[in-house]
Amino acid sequence: MRALRLPRSPKVLLGLCILAFFIVMTVIGPWLAPYNPSSTAFAALLTPSSHHWLGTTSLGQDIFSQLLVGARATMVVALVAGLVATLLSMTIGIAAGYLGGATDDGLSLLSNVFLAIPGLPLLIVIDSYLPVSSRSNEFVIGLIISLTGWAWGARVLRAQTMSLRNRDFVEAARIIGESRTRIMFSEIAPNLLPVLASSLLFTVLYAIGAYVTLAYIGLTSTAVWNWGTMLYWAQANNAPLSNEWYWFVPPGICIALVGTGLALVNFGIDEFINPRLRAGGISARQRRELGLPRRPRLGLTPVLRPRPNRSLASAKLVTK
Amino acid sequence: MSALERSDESPQVDALAAPVGPAEKEAPSPFVLDVHDFSVDYGVGTQMVTAVRDVNFSLQRSKVLGVAGESGSGKSTLVYAITRLLRAPGVIRSGSAILRVALPDGHGVEEFDLVQADERTLRRVRWSHVSVVLQSALNALNPVLRIRREFDEVLKTHRASMTKTQRRERSVELLRMVGLSEDRLDRFPHELSGGQRQRVMIALALALDPDLVIMDEPTTALDVVTQREIINELNDLRSRFGFAMIFITHDLSLLVELADDIVVMYAGAIVERASALELYDAPRHPYTLGLLNSFPPLHGARQELTGIPGSPPDLAQLPAGCSFSTRCPFVMERCRRESPTLISLDDDHRQVACWLHEPGASATVPVELSQRRRAATSDSDLATAESK
Amino acid sequence: MIARRLALYALTAWVAITVNFLLPRMMPGNPVQTLIGKLQGQVTSQEIRAIRLSFGMGIHQGLFAQYFTYLGQLFRGNLGVSITLGAPVSAILHESVPWTVGLIGLSTLISFALGTLLGAMLGWTRGSRFDALIPTATFFQAIPYFFLGTVMLLIFGSNLHWFPVLGAYSQNVTPGWNWTFIANVIRYGELPLISIVLSSVAGWMLGMRNMMITMVGEDFVLMAVAKGLPRRKVIMHAARNAVLPSIANLSLAIGLVVSGALLVELVFNYPGVGDLLLQAVMNEDYPLIQGIFLVITLTVLAANLIADVVYLALDPRTRTEAAV
Repeated sequence: MRALRLPRSPKVLLGLCILAFFIVMTVIGPWLAPYNPSSTAFAALLTPSSHHWLGTTSLGQDIFSQLLVGARATMVVALVAGLVATLLSMTIGIAAGYLGGATDDGLSLLSNVFLAIPGLPLLIVIDSYLPVSSRSNEFVIGLIISLTGWAWGARVLRAQTMSLRNRDFVEAARIIGESRTRIMFSEIAPNLLPVLASSLLFTVLYAIGAYVTLAYIGLTSTAVWNWGTMLYWAQANNAPLSNEWYWFVPPGICIALVGTGLALVNFGIDEFINPRLRAGGISARQRRELGLPRRPRLGLTPVLRPRPNRSLASAKLVTK
Repeated sequence: MSALERSDESPQVDALAAPVGPAEKEAPSPFVLDVHDFSVDYGVGTQMVTAVRDVNFSLQRSKVLGVAGESGSGKSTLVYAITRLLRAPGVIRSGSAILRVALPDGHGVEEFDLVQADERTLRRVRWSHVSVVLQSALNALNPVLRIRREFDEVLKTHRASMTKTQRRERSVELLRMVGLSEDRLDRFPHELSGGQRQRVMIALALALDPDLVIMDEPTTALDVVTQREIINELNDLRSRFGFAMIFITHDLSLLVELADDIVVMYAGAIVERASALELYDAPRHPYTLGLLNSFPPLHGARQELTGIPGSPPDLAQLPAGCSFSTRCPFVMERCRRESPTLISLDDDHRQVACWLHEPGASATVPVELSQRRRAATSDSDLATAESK
Repeated sequence: MIARRLALYALTAWVAITVNFLLPRMMPGNPVQTLIGKLQGQVTSQEIRAIRLSFGMGIHQGLFAQYFTYLGQLFRGNLGVSITLGAPVSAILHESVPWTVGLIGLSTLISFALGTLLGAMLGWTRGSRFDALIPTATFFQAIPYFFLGTVMLLIFGSNLHWFPVLGAYSQNVTPGWNWTFIANVIRYGELPLISIVLSSVAGWMLGMRNMMITMVGEDFVLMAVAKGLPRRKVIMHAARNAVLPSIANLSLAIGLVVSGALLVELVFNYPGVGDLLLQAVMNEDYPLIQGIFLVITLTVLAANLIADVVYLALDPRTRTEAAV
């Protein structure tokens, strides 16, 4: 089994830091919020100040509190949807790839159909028929989003499973008579860990986008604070055209930052899966010090040559 | 005369800028390639691994040099680095590789140090003077281009004066040379068989009448019959067109059929070099002996294949002393302490890096490494090999 | 291959139609009944009866029989009547679909071409200072389309007044096939188009970069160098092959791009399908929502088919497989 060891590039580290920040915000955000996000006790449309870091809405609600409280619903829905969708793609993808035959044909067709239907419009149609009580339930919304977001992962996992199917360790498990379920989930799945992780990141990214979009067009309960509903209220009150940037820019930036974090970590996973994407061994600093060109050029293998000036300088340093 | 003999005007590394310009007319060098003290690393600093160390060899015009060794011996690294095609993180640490090409007018020679050459010079040298054939022709041909385009592109780039009809005629001529019919030109690579693809690559490599053709295991991916045919064709083409060739393979018995001289590499260094026949009949290095016993000869009596025990060493952690000491059946105390250098043997032009052959050494040379390997070689067999 | 894809798209279209049919009939709490309750007094009882009929209420017909009636109407182009606009859904869509196809189609083309070009360049010059573009691109990729549109509208529309905002053309011009009108439409389309391109270009770019890097590692690209070809030609060898997976992935991406771009229409009050969808959602105009969903799905499927044909034309390997 290959352990998932992320390359320690600055990109991945930055991504992990961003994600950690927002996870902390998800957990403790609602407690940190200075005010009740729905309370209309303040003056309307205050610009940012020390009392209201991000100002207030046209109803006199504290925007900073909304941002902190809204993190939780946004992240929970994204996580629920991401996990459920990944579980779905894992089951369907591995089953299709390992079992083959008619099972594969059926499951592949199913994922291809789901891939071809545009997800968001389908989501909007389903959601518009939901009773209001379900629209305010994060788990219901998360589940519906996962229904439209599993197909891509299933397709990738199917292809990966097919390449593993005839490997020795799978063959060995078959010979000693392990059950098919066990082979699929205990032998094959652990080897797909990098692909699974990448697929999880992507579905979480998709889920955030989908949830925020649903909220933005008013298809989730407006009583639940999330970054999408904040944008919904801002848009409904014409904040963008009235230059009330402090109302609609912060939630947008938060969404984009979470997405950036996810994508940056995924860079690391990509490099893990596809070694060609890794930078070739020599760091930029080493290149500079050795007088090598800044980047490797195809068909121009670099030549080390001693640089007299440089060696003199370092010799001086030693004698000091 | 052996192509391995070093030329007297052994070039100084730093004195040469590329291109050096036409050499003096009175003494044109017979060598098309002169490689001197050539070392290649992968990476730099603490993670650096030396893949090729202090390699010297020369190749005469129109001769074939075989480079043999297991995978990881540095044979491909060496040749790719010489042509500057080695990918990152490969770095040439030191050395020179002088290429001498005939001038178009027929007299005089132009010299290039490939190690010092810039991109423009390299582009001028590439394919016109040095061409390459890779192991897998399926990967070496662009999957979305018809074969015709491959020929067209090379001719268009290097023979700008040729018209479309001339290019077409030349392509057909080249294909015929390797025994393929004209209609292959309009095929895509995936529509050809493995043998056909490799023939296309060979035809492509000869398109510009190069001085040197580099073959990196061109027959390894093919079945034995096709392998046989292609080797014969190569012998034939070489005698017709007179290009020199570097042939990389792990199959020593194949080299004996084709090469004039052979160098055997182990762990990034040359451990033995000799003419093909001498090497085949009387290997002097225990590793060469092991390699010879790993493959059945294309001709001749079947022998028991013994192979070499163990696996190639990790270049990052070479054993102390001789790097072959951990696998050598004749290992001595000294081998584990000191690393042998390449020394010339008295009787002929061959060289070997092994303490067993140290002049005045107390060790007795094992009988396998001191005599002809096959006393009972049939005359017809020798004749085949010598007819080259 | 094309035949197989066609079959898949036909099946997908059928699934979408069936989902459309089943959803209102199977949802808990009967949303249509709730809607009718709200409409009581605003519309005539005749209209209410029509709505009830179209959702299978008050008819004593089996589900299957209803289904076939539904399919029959669909094939005659009858998508029902919009509750709020009182016009046939097909007529309403006829008005707005051209705007959407124009705006989103054009921006997708531009963004794909630009992203592929930039991605090829980034992949080839990997390790150079252009790599600094990558984190920026990643950030842009993560911004929701409608949010970026809003910010663009705020900065370049209402503050800097570089572009006209809201709508597809000025109130002062009369729609028609004349140059004044067309120029006006182009002018009004610029900012929404730039917004969509900016939101979607990073995805194509990063994907193409990865493929380009993978291709540069292939033997045939090294061979192109060994042949002494000029750099431009070497890059073409790699790029020509790297673009193939991009096109193959178009089927997934088109759905996402179209979904995102629909919301940009909303931000700019662009009179396309996206804007219409929002109004329909707000008014709970179920026949209209369903009609829009069907039209979007069919358009995306058509775009997929085009992508498949292009792929087929560019990759000779698939052609041979189809022939065998």
